[in-house]
Amino acid sequence: MRDKKKRGDLLNKGNDPAVKYADPKNQVLNDKQQSRRDFLEGSGAAVAAGAGISAFGIPSAKAQSGSSSATTAINLTVNGTQQMLDVQDRWTLAEVLRDQLDLTGTKIGCNRSECGACTVLMNGQPVYACSQLAVWADGADIRTVEGLATNGELSPVQRAFVANNGPQCGFCTPGQLMTATALLETNPSPSSEEVKEALVGNLCRCSNYNAIVEAVVMAGEEGGLA
Amino acid sequence: MSDFTRQGLEPLRTIGNDTPRIDAIERVTGQAKYTRDWKLPGMLYGKVLRSPHPHARLVSIDTSEAEALPGVQAVITYENAQVVWGAGSVNGGRQYNDPTKAATVHRRYIFNNPVRFVGDSIAAVAATDRHIAEEAVSLIKVQYEELPFVLEPEEALQADAPKVYPEGNLCPDFQGEFKPMVSDVGDVEVGFADADQIFEESYDTGFIHNAQMEPRCSLAHWQGDKLVLYTPSQGISNCRHDTARDLGLEDHQVQVIAQYMGGGFGNKNQNQDADLVAATLSRRAGVPVMLEYSRREDWLGVHGRWPTVQHYKIGVKNDGEVTAMQMRAYSGMGPYRKNSGGIGGMDAYGCPNRYREISPVYTNRTTSGNFRAPSEPHGFFGIENMMDDVAYKIGMDPVEFTLKNMRRPTEERPFTNYSLDEVISDGVERFNWQARRKVVPGSDDGPIKRGAGFSFMMFRAGVGTSSAIVRVNSNQEYTLYVGVTDIGPGAKTTMGMIAAEALGTPLSNVEVVWGDTDRCPYSVGESGSRTTIMTGLAVVEAAEELKRQIADKGMPSGSEVLIGSATPIPTTDGKTRQCFGAHFVEVEVDTRVGSTKILKYTAVHESGRIINPTTARDQIRGATIQGIGQAIHEDLLYDPRSGQPLTPGYYRARHLTHKDIPDIDVHFIEVDDGYGPFGAKTAGESGIILAPAAVGNAVANAIGHRMKSMPITRDKILGAMA
Repeated sequence: MRDKKKRGDLLNKGNDPAVKYADPKNQVLNDKQQSRRDFLEGSGAAVAAGAGISAFGIPSAKAQSGSSSATTAINLTVNGTQQMLDVQDRWTLAEVLRDQLDLTGTKIGCNRSECGACTVLMNGQPVYACSQLAVWADGADIRTVEGLATNGELSPVQRAFVANNGPQCGFCTPGQLMTATALLETNPSPSSEEVKEALVGNLCRCSNYNAIVEAVVMAGEEGGLA
Repeated sequence: MSDFTRQGLEPLRTIGNDTPRIDAIERVTGQAKYTRDWKLPGMLYGKVLRSPHPHARLVSIDTSEAEALPGVQAVITYENAQVVWGAGSVNGGRQYNDPTKAATVHRRYIFNNPVRFVGDSIAAVAATDRHIAEEAVSLIKVQYEELPFVLEPEEALQADAPKVYPEGNLCPDFQGEFKPMVSDVGDVEVGFADADQIFEESYDTGFIHNAQMEPRCSLAHWQGDKLVLYTPSQGISNCRHDTARDLGLEDHQVQVIAQYMGGGFGNKNQNQDADLVAATLSRRAGVPVMLEYSRREDWLGVHGRWPTVQHYKIGVKNDGEVTAMQMRAYSGMGPYRKNSGGIGGMDAYGCPNRYREISPVYTNRTTSGNFRAPSEPHGFFGIENMMDDVAYKIGMDPVEFTLKNMRRPTEERPFTNYSLDEVISDGVERFNWQARRKVVPGSDDGPIKRGAGFSFMMFRAGVGTSSAIVRVNSNQEYTLYVGVTDIGPGAKTTMGMIAAEALGTPLSNVEVVWGDTDRCPYSVGESGSRTTIMTGLAVVEAAEELKRQIADKGMPSGSEVLIGSATPIPTTDGKTRQCFGAHFVEVEVDTRVGSTKILKYTAVHESGRIINPTTARDQIRGATIQGIGQAIHEDLLYDPRSGQPLTPGYYRARHLTHKDIPDIDVHFIEVDDGYGPFGAKTAGESGIILAPAAVGNAVANAIGHRMKSMPITRDKILGAMA
């Protein structure tokens, strides 16, 4: 297991989990050698930053050897429950949620910050969990789709998704719901234009966009997340 | 918004009411279990090694370092795992046909040598976690002998073109003969001789990846000689049969489980190579294997809509009567013939003289295959732009031109019903067509120009065989067993509603069991616009059978149950059964930057009786938006020098996002033609057919230039305006 302080050095901005996914500074990589999207193509191969990537984004063994399975102890609060975990430095937050905590509601659609299916709330902000290393999330408060309902009662935006056919195939739904929840917490009664603006990073290939926006507006009209 | 015109239809108790999906709570709480969400004890993770070259012979492969990596438990390659993937390449693209698959000339294996596109599979590993599997794949050493490659279908048919197969690049038809697909009705030469004017033009359309949100994956688990396969399949019955055949098993030795799946749009029909790779790895390793494709692997390794080149020649009289239609076209299939390569649209016209010749062509691009209405959106884009152009050139309103020339029922070819006139006139009125279209295309002053376009279609709504089982217990609770998987349209809710209606019980009293071949009877699969009609009709018949038993024996008591089942073989009494639609769109083109914005969109459909208005509305809206994306954004571009794909992925293919989405007004004209369950037809595929044509026509109407290459991207508009 790696010492936490060293991990902080290694990962540069890793101790600031509130940094949004959109902040390019949040990515530790050499821009001259490859784009961030290429970099993120391999599943959670993030610590191999700057290494040569093949056509299918598989980091070369040389870049990974030695450090690949190093682990770090982190603390997370997930849906209100404290979790102490030893995570591999190369694991993404999405992997840890799905594989270690069995919170499989968070979906991985692209693993490269394109689709938004993996969106969770980190300290109240929507982030792409596929593009956050788990070690960066140390100390963070995480909410996933499993944490939206309270005592078995759906949140207003979940109810609105049920009533207005928010999910078609349902694979993007958890991400849409998390971003919508963050929006409604700051803007309890958004217009459809405001909803579109907020949800622009959540793709839906069923292209059920109209129904999703209608549902979020509907949830707002119900009074937001009282 | 959506609304309905019901023609003499009595309202029903359950059907026709806006109904939340019966699994909506699972879908909004994260409880819905998709394939990647399963975990089995001892499960390994698989990873595939893929070709970085568009065409290469594999000279040698060395897996020793990969095998030595701690955690690696199986490595399979083209040398030691030669499994035929029957559905991966079929003579004539004829899926669902075992003899054709067996006779296929150019068979596809799970790993191929030579590799024929960037992304073709070479080998796979299974390891204790996915990172080790990735690392192991990177340790496999392959020596390639690069071969010349070809990307464009017309170029591929030149005599000196690189050959994807020794016989050449024209794909074999279903009889294994290297011939184009030809349809010859009447006599086009006579028709052209009759014409006052003849128009010739060429159109081309791009590769559209299905791009469903859930990338391909498969979890294989052998229990002795039985294979349990958790896989996102649009047709579990077909997937089971194909997998059994490919692995040399009996159908009953394979169980396919697909509880929830993240879309497919035709990408997840039959079995997929991932199923066979996972099964082979699992058999070698002796434990379950989860094979996950990355987004890029899914984009390049699975399939999308075939790119086409369409050359048209149309003969027309001065009064607007079309006398002859001819199309010679090419479909780029990639190096494997997964599906037909069809180009539809001409059959929507009644012209008595029609000649159509389509050459499906092998190239070294990624594989083409079915995508929602496989042959139609690109074909309708071509023919309806062609006809719209002809209409304006002879000074006619395209709607009038269509009403004069569209196919109508004849004595020889009767329809079960025909509502295209009504669909079109309804759309004209709702959209205010006369006010929005520019009689003189491109006549707006200034750089920002508006225009309106229209398109129309008819599409298959045929009946066919499927199965259903309904059970009732002594508590008068019903259980419906149907082999659907619910790819997204809401099939299990639809099936539940049909059962509830037929049984005269509330939907809440019907439990639906789905998505498991060991528990459910045969279903046609959610492809080809068949589930609502065919499995729905089986549900009705099974319910009727159960009601007969109840009438006979009374309700069961104690631990008794009664079971009704049905596998109907319905016909349409020799009549053609179609659904109908017309789309109207107004666009605004900023000719300074080439951008196209949708201002108003009206979609009118006749899809028989609508079972669930909520989900039907969103089938049309979602399909329309996919069609708009196809019209103006999506493509998979290749670098002609290297043969490398340039635009895989959501960003690069520029998929529409929330901010690009217009309101789509949907209107259904409801009828019951007496066929299908309570008169239901189909909606899921039909909605995507019309947007490319309507948007193309609207852009031409706005800017006064016909855009002949789809997607109609900004650079193409700027080029046309320059």
